Amino acid sequence: MSAPADVRLPGSPAGSAAQLDSFRHYRHLTLELAISQFKLRYTQSVLGYLWSLLKPAMLFGITYFIFVDLFKINDGTQFYGMQVLLGIVMWTFFAECTASSMQAIAGSAGLIRKAYFPRSILVIAASLSSLFTFLINMLIVFAIAVALRQIDVGLRMLIVIPLLLELYMLTLGLSLFLASLHVQFHDVGHLWDVLMQLLFYGSGVMFSLTYVLQRLHMALGVGQTAHLQPHLAWIVELMCANPITQNIEDLRHALLAQQAPWTELVVTGHLAAVKQYAAVDAPWLLPVPFLVVVLVFTIGALTFRARARNFAESL
Amino acid sequence: MSFDDRRLAIQVEGLSKRFHIPLDHSSTLKHRVTHWRSASRYRILEALLDINFEVAAGEFIGIIGHNGSGKSTLLKILSRIYHPDAGRVTINGKVSPFLELGVGFNPELTARENIYLSGAILGLGRSELHRIFDEIIGFAELEQFVDHKLKNFSSGMEVRLAFSLAIQAHAEILMMDEVLAVGDASFQQKCFDIFKRYKREGRTVVLVTHSLSAVTLYCERALLLDHGRLVADGPAIEVTAQYRRSLGLAADDSRLVSDADRWGSRDVVMTGVRMLDERGVEDCNPPTGGSIRVELGYEIQNDAVRDFTCVVWLMRDGGLVVSEDRFPVSQYALVGANQRGSTGTIRYDIPHLPFLEGGYSVNVELQGRFDGATYDHLDHAIRFRVIDKGGRPGLIETGAVWSVTRSEAPVMSWPDQLAAPAPRASGDG
Repeated sequence: MSAPADVRLPGSPAGSAAQLDSFRHYRHLTLELAISQFKLRYTQSVLGYLWSLLKPAMLFGITYFIFVDLFKINDGTQFYGMQVLLGIVMWTFFAECTASSMQAIAGSAGLIRKAYFPRSILVIAASLSSLFTFLINMLIVFAIAVALRQIDVGLRMLIVIPLLLELYMLTLGLSLFLASLHVQFHDVGHLWDVLMQLLFYGSGVMFSLTYVLQRLHMALGVGQTAHLQPHLAWIVELMCANPITQNIEDLRHALLAQQAPWTELVVTGHLAAVKQYAAVDAPWLLPVPFLVVVLVFTIGALTFRARARNFAESL
Repeated sequence: MSFDDRRLAIQVEGLSKRFHIPLDHSSTLKHRVTHWRSASRYRILEALLDINFEVAAGEFIGIIGHNGSGKSTLLKILSRIYHPDAGRVTINGKVSPFLELGVGFNPELTARENIYLSGAILGLGRSELHRIFDEIIGFAELEQFVDHKLKNFSSGMEVRLAFSLAIQAHAEILMMDEVLAVGDASFQQKCFDIFKRYKREGRTVVLVTHSLSAVTLYCERALLLDHGRLVADGPAIEVTAQYRRSLGLAADDSRLVSDADRWGSRDVVMTGVRMLDERGVEDCNPPTGGSIRVELGYEIQNDAVRDFTCVVWLMRDGGLVVSEDRFPVSQYALVGANQRGSTGTIRYDIPHLPFLEGGYSVNVELQGRFDGATYDHLDHAIRFRVIDKGGRPGLIETGAVWSVTRSEAPVMSWPDQLAAPAPRASGDG
């Protein structure tokens, strides 16, 4: 009875210039939105942007005090403090970016009901404004690490770039997924808060994988080369499959493990610990975190695309 | 119809849209989980049903209808904000992506920052905004408030800023929803001036509004929606008349004689009112200096009626311009006493229209000759637009004549108190 719904816009034959035009427009709009969100984030606060530095610094201070000073925990790795600091800065980005991007659609109801543009722009803009903060924080941590002679400035620092891209892709994919669900189900926000707590401890932010393995061995009283109990091996494997663990471990490895040969720098950071203790001999785990990232991004983007056309009505 | 047909700006075929309105608030997961069996508890609202129309490039088209008739939904589908359930929408040209003024404005940002943000939504590039920035601020008369936060602006200032930014958009097709609802009279005048400019520039405008006068004045064509169906598509004057008639009929059904526009004892009723130009064309836009004739059919419904007359008022922007009453005008239409059921036509001619360009409406009334009792009164019986080819500002053409005579000495002189002031002394002595 009724033809399928179809909306056609200028574009097709003579429209490649128009498409380029709208691409430019949308890129410009994304940046403007990101810039204004960045400004708005610290509006009406005396310290303004400083908060984005103070927050991870305070979190680091608390963690360091509790873990190192109070419980005398040290995983034996070199520069433990710097390891934790790097982990916290990366985690802060992941946590803040997903939390704020999730609100990007529901929080812009007025805009969505009144103007057309690809809805993903709102999520991308929100994530970009978190990314600005993150990159500045990273530069500051680098500067501190270099000043403390914990990182050697060199070409191997370039490995950070693909790793950060991977982290951004994961975060954006999750943000798209969460934002599109959050429009209808505000429960997602609360659920995500709890999941973040779990992820925080499951991502080795405060400790390296090596440390987890050490503790497991100590608890079980078995030798370093012995294989783990199956159910504990499962936990370690899950941690290894977690892309955030992989990302943090690889980045630490690339920056702080200065003796490691080049060949081990690229993707083996997260398995180095595992291999070293021969606890889990599972080379198949190597590509899993990357596959997870691709999968999360694809699912996130597809979910968002499928739901985006109804945002204006649902809000 | 070919997609490449450049002359069509908008083409809508078989468009339908329905909304699923949940009967209870089910936007929590708990509800979804606990009520998974009754997942389909919603009411379906057919917002639009099989809508078909085309808009040629450069047309100025109005969409009217009562609240909930689907006109805003249609506009939102045309601007891609809603996705249709069925049918096809083809848009040929760059569409302005906004429906209202000040979309994207954030109260926590300054005027400057808001211009760059909202400008980006309107599709203006950064370098371009940079170039026209002073113009926007100047037009909005906000030079001193460029770096003030928007939340400290008065609503008037905010609307001025939004408007001067919105008119910079380059779109070939503009979708506007109740733009005229905001702002005071002078702001609405500004809107109208911009509409005129758009018309001159040949842009396509789709205007959704409750203001029937705005539709008759600015749109050549109008669409009338009723419960999601397109019930009329034609010249704006006819469609608005039909809409008014449908409102009037609704009032008749309930036996209410006095609705907002029409009242009276109905001892004599008007059976129709129309306006013709000199060629006898109905629903015209007469030129300045042209002639018009208003024709009014009557029917006597009460034997007791004695002589009665007709009164005509011409209004412009709600203000009275001409009143053709019985007094003091000596000539008026006088219909002698007659019996019930007799009918006839009263004609009112203006042989030479003195009005310059503008929109007019005609109020008519049949009243008793001696007691002035209102038999049948109808406001806005006719709306028309006078077209002045010369495009002169002002209200009327006076036919005034200029002339100059030379003389040897100055003629005439000011009374002392009005004499030209002496050159101002410098300093503040």
